[in-house]
Amino acid sequence: MGKKIILLADTERSEQEKLRDFYTSFANLIKDNGLEDSVSLVRAADIGIYAKGFAVKIFPQGTIYTGVKDGDIARIIEASVKADGVLNDLLFKEEPKQIRIVLRNCGVIDPESIDEYIACRGYGALKKILSGMTPADVIEEMKKSGLRGRGGAGYPTWMKWKFTRESQGDKKYVICNADEGDPGAYMDRSVLEGDPHSVIEGLIIAGYTIGAGMGYMYIRAEYPLAVERVKKAIEQAYDCGLLGKNILGTDFSFDIDIRLGAGAFVCGEETALIASIEGRRGTPRPRPPYPSVSGLWGKPTAINNVETLANVPYIILEGGDKFASIGTEKSKGTKVFALTGKVKNSGLVEVPMGITLREIVFDIGGGMLTDKPIKAVQTGGPSGGVIPVDYLDTPVDYENLQKLGSIMGSGGMIVMDESDCIVDIAKFYLGFCVDESCGKCAPCRIGGYQMLNVLNGIAAGSGTLEDLDKLRRLAQAMQRASLCALGQTAANPVMSSLKYFENEYREHIVNRKCRSHKCRSLMTYSIIQDKCKRCRVCVINCPVNAIEGDREKGFFIDASKCIKCGKCFEVCKFQSIAKE
Amino acid sequence: MAKLTLKDIDGKIAAGLEESGDWIKVGMSTCGMAAGAGEVFTTLQQEAKKRNLAVQIKKCGCQGMCYAEPLVEVHCGGLPDVVYGRVDKDVAIKILEKHISAKTLVNDNIYEVRTKR
Repeated sequence: MGKKIILLADTERSEQEKLRDFYTSFANLIKDNGLEDSVSLVRAADIGIYAKGFAVKIFPQGTIYTGVKDGDIARIIEASVKADGVLNDLLFKEEPKQIRIVLRNCGVIDPESIDEYIACRGYGALKKILSGMTPADVIEEMKKSGLRGRGGAGYPTWMKWKFTRESQGDKKYVICNADEGDPGAYMDRSVLEGDPHSVIEGLIIAGYTIGAGMGYMYIRAEYPLAVERVKKAIEQAYDCGLLGKNILGTDFSFDIDIRLGAGAFVCGEETALIASIEGRRGTPRPRPPYPSVSGLWGKPTAINNVETLANVPYIILEGGDKFASIGTEKSKGTKVFALTGKVKNSGLVEVPMGITLREIVFDIGGGMLTDKPIKAVQTGGPSGGVIPVDYLDTPVDYENLQKLGSIMGSGGMIVMDESDCIVDIAKFYLGFCVDESCGKCAPCRIGGYQMLNVLNGIAAGSGTLEDLDKLRRLAQAMQRASLCALGQTAANPVMSSLKYFENEYREHIVNRKCRSHKCRSLMTYSIIQDKCKRCRVCVINCPVNAIEGDREKGFFIDASKCIKCGKCFEVCKFQSIAKE
Repeated sequence: MAKLTLKDIDGKIAAGLEESGDWIKVGMSTCGMAAGAGEVFTTLQQEAKKRNLAVQIKKCGCQGMCYAEPLVEVHCGGLPDVVYGRVDKDVAIKILEKHISAKTLVNDNIYEVRTKR
């Protein structure tokens, strides 16, 4: 039996000093009890618990106490350090919120070693299907699992595979869509970089199921490390006989090649992606025919997202029922989210479907980064919407998010606080879609541009109340008439923010005010005379000489000259510039 | 490498991950690299060699705690596995000196302690 290890952490992460004082008192008491040789005391930076005061975790028992005060230390030492007892009043029950299926190997194995992947039961699913599962069995297992496409639309994977399998064609293809382009989302990149073999295994299984002999990985060129690792993984798989002719000594043959996307967001749309692989310009085409009937080079093609494919080996190995036991009625399994924005612990989280946004942001994410309250959560990237704070307790699944006017999307989750202006956010996402519109169809190309113009007008203070109706009309036209999902969903961020934050739009239009101080044209700067020390720093730094006056009379900002650049506000050492 | 057959896969899975001895894993995905994991990795390699420590320095992917990159996970006999975050050159050396050599945990950079795997 080794030493007991005691971890101390400040779950509020306030000042370092406080934790050090707590550490000292703890250390002193340990010394007083003559335990210094049998206990090692350590300060931790984070133990996964938030807003609960000081926390003490004792190993090897794993007992956790929270809200510990200096006075409690003696009791803890008596009960849990000297003996193996537990103090029930301070005890904290840890409930693991995250379940790792897609990220099961990420951060565990060396992504560049196929041996480590196999040692973690990798390619075991492939072996299982090759030694006795028919494609129909695989589809049945996938049906049981209830896995739905993780790229955004949430189409059941088994149906996609079934349709492609049943389509007639001398050749069939499978494609892994790794053209992840949503701002702030990087789940797929992490999987490709941390566990490339799991995606390759998923793709081989997909190929076996639908009867394809060739698979493509379509990866965006902006992910050089992911491309390098996938390349290496494919080479290793060929060397081991897991790809190529007669895989694992059976009759099944399958090849994989990589295609790079050159950074067009629209190429994540399946028909545009197919065009891009074929060497044509990446623009979408009308569906039907769906790719499952006529896809790559006119042949039946199944396109799956990285995360979807990474789930497949797990489902085959563990069985569809086990996978389906996680999640909600209609959305099974887990979802990886890239949690970013104004949250303390930004990063990747993999949570079971049905968890609430509040749990994700506050229990896993550690709460807000700033001391400002949370305002909204944006999910689904530029095709998604804004979910206001009132709906934080909604369980996350495909249907619920759609009801709220957002979508699951690929898994970007951006947390916003009161300092984020909703008009500004809508402008950003719409601007992204306008930039990335391929220009093929008019509703997206022109509609998006016009909507952006209206939004720019509102942000600049020249908006009218009729603009809001105009936005709604344009959005409807885009939703109905656009060729592909990019145009159909481009208006979602505007529409959902208008639904929940119409007041804020009205404030911009009627009061000419931006409460978050983000819309530059709606701000005014002035000098607070009582605080001003008349040091002239602002006068010297103003790029347009808009600050006039002298040391005796004081200084004033000439509003007609001011370009609202904010330079004076930044340089003033006495906080005597008011921003409104 | 020789071509594998169906049986080989079973054998390899049964053998499991060969994790003999002490090891240090550095998260080397884009997020880790951007935060300086490359430097941490080379520092660990060089310093471990200098000190003649029998410890394997390995690469791994992203664990998801991007806010605390670069992440370093340490497995050392007799101690639970510990994930250190915000590791820089100095902390890397501390990990070798304190955690690996002296078998005591390093203060202030612990982000996770794993009781079991």
